[in-house]
Amino acid sequence: MAAALRAAGLGLLGRRASALRPPGAAPPCLAVPVRTKRRLFVPDWARELSPAEREGRLRAAARALPEDRLERAFFLACTADIIDPYVPPEGDARMSSLSKDGLRQRVEKLKQTAASQLALRKVKDHVPDFSTKTFPEKAQEIFIEAHNCLANFNKQKLHSLVTERCYPDMVRGNRYKTIRWSFVESLEPPRVVHIRCNSIVNPSNLYGQVTVRMHTRQTLAVYDRFGRLMYGGEQVPKDVLEYVVFERYLVNPYGTWRMHGKIVPEWAPPKDPIIKTVMIPGPALDSSQEVKEHKEETSEQVQRQQ
Amino acid sequence: MAAGRALGAGGSWLRGLLGWARPERWLASSSVFPLSCIHTSACLQKVGKWEKKNRIVYPPQLPGEPRRPAEIYHCRRDIKYSKDKMWYLAKLIKGMSIDQALAQLEFNDKKGAKVIKEVLLEAQEMAVKNHNVEFKSNLHIAESLTGRGQYTKRIRYHGKGMFGIMKLVRCHYFVKLVEGPPPPPEPRKTGFDQAKEYVQQLRNRTLVHTL
Repeated sequence: MAAALRAAGLGLLGRRASALRPPGAAPPCLAVPVRTKRRLFVPDWARELSPAEREGRLRAAARALPEDRLERAFFLACTADIIDPYVPPEGDARMSSLSKDGLRQRVEKLKQTAASQLALRKVKDHVPDFSTKTFPEKAQEIFIEAHNCLANFNKQKLHSLVTERCYPDMVRGNRYKTIRWSFVESLEPPRVVHIRCNSIVNPSNLYGQVTVRMHTRQTLAVYDRFGRLMYGGEQVPKDVLEYVVFERYLVNPYGTWRMHGKIVPEWAPPKDPIIKTVMIPGPALDSSQEVKEHKEETSEQVQRQQ
Repeated sequence: MAAGRALGAGGSWLRGLLGWARPERWLASSSVFPLSCIHTSACLQKVGKWEKKNRIVYPPQLPGEPRRPAEIYHCRRDIKYSKDKMWYLAKLIKGMSIDQALAQLEFNDKKGAKVIKEVLLEAQEMAVKNHNVEFKSNLHIAESLTGRGQYTKRIRYHGKGMFGIMKLVRCHYFVKLVEGPPPPPEPRKTGFDQAKEYVQQLRNRTLVHTL
């Protein structure tokens, strides 16, 4: 009986035309595929591969379609920092040049550092008329011109004299202030103390950095928005020993030497304090706690960090 | 050939997959990258006249001149409060020193008092940080004004299907802090002073076109 039923069932589902069903009708239990939302789609060729192989295929495909090239390419005209900064010898410009140590310092020339010599050779390859004898004067001129532009807020010219890394350091906080700076005289002739060459992104993308030691006398007066003196004094010349780094994009034939930064040694004397008093807030206390030592809101003379 | 076809198909799949994920669209519009060089930064918002008053720079003072007191202008725009109600608070603190004003506002029950207190604290901090004011308590309020902000209209539903149009009222608050102790209040004009003035006016009369 089961076999008969099965046969009957099969007969019902069979393709043979019968009186109950016309010949062209669809079979009664046909699975109609329903189109659902297209979810995770893995193509045939990727189904059997392991994740590592899949990644490899993707990488190959990505290489085959390069992304659109940048329509507005940006141009790196300076490095981000001073490479291998010069460590000034302690007591520089303090000792008299007649003592033995002082004499040694004066005699300590560029030739002693091999790296600087190598860099000098590389710089001379790209800039044939570079010389350690003539460069310091030009560097000092650039230095003076840059500070004059800063005092006059001549931003266009300042950009051509100072690299993009140095510009914000010079200009920050000065928008609503008046700066009066003047160069009185140079106490010692400036000289080159350190040269380095480095490249970023490609090994052929060369930037040269030259450190020049300058011992000069300058006056600086900074006035705030209301014309009140904030720092320094116009009639007070100060002796300043500085190690200024100049940089140039060597590969660019139209590159120029521009000020890149200054090196401040650790043994440098502290700067003068600013004229006003500044409050340094103490630790935030609850109303139940008390101030341990008696320092409620004492004003201290704070040295302005630039 | 099969591999090439697969790669081609895979490439189109990849392009489709990555087509939506272009890095330019991830970055903010005011960046260096191409295809979205729309410059949408603060310059499109109009800077008000009161804010611009903080940008004037005076020439350096000569050594003999008296020290110019610092002036700090600050404002807050579009406060959800009525300008007439805010006026009472502005009039209250006009002429006070900043500490006294802060104390009065802290214990005032109006909604605008909290807002004005925030504005004064912001202005005080700005003064010390940006405008070279030495002592934060050495400030007094020289001017304190309110102005009308932008009003929006909304429907106020009444009974029986009636409606009214209500205005959502906003105001601006402006304050000018000046360095130094507050100026002494003007003495009130007494009756005797008024009488003296009247008599003086009578005495100033002259006769014209007569002998």
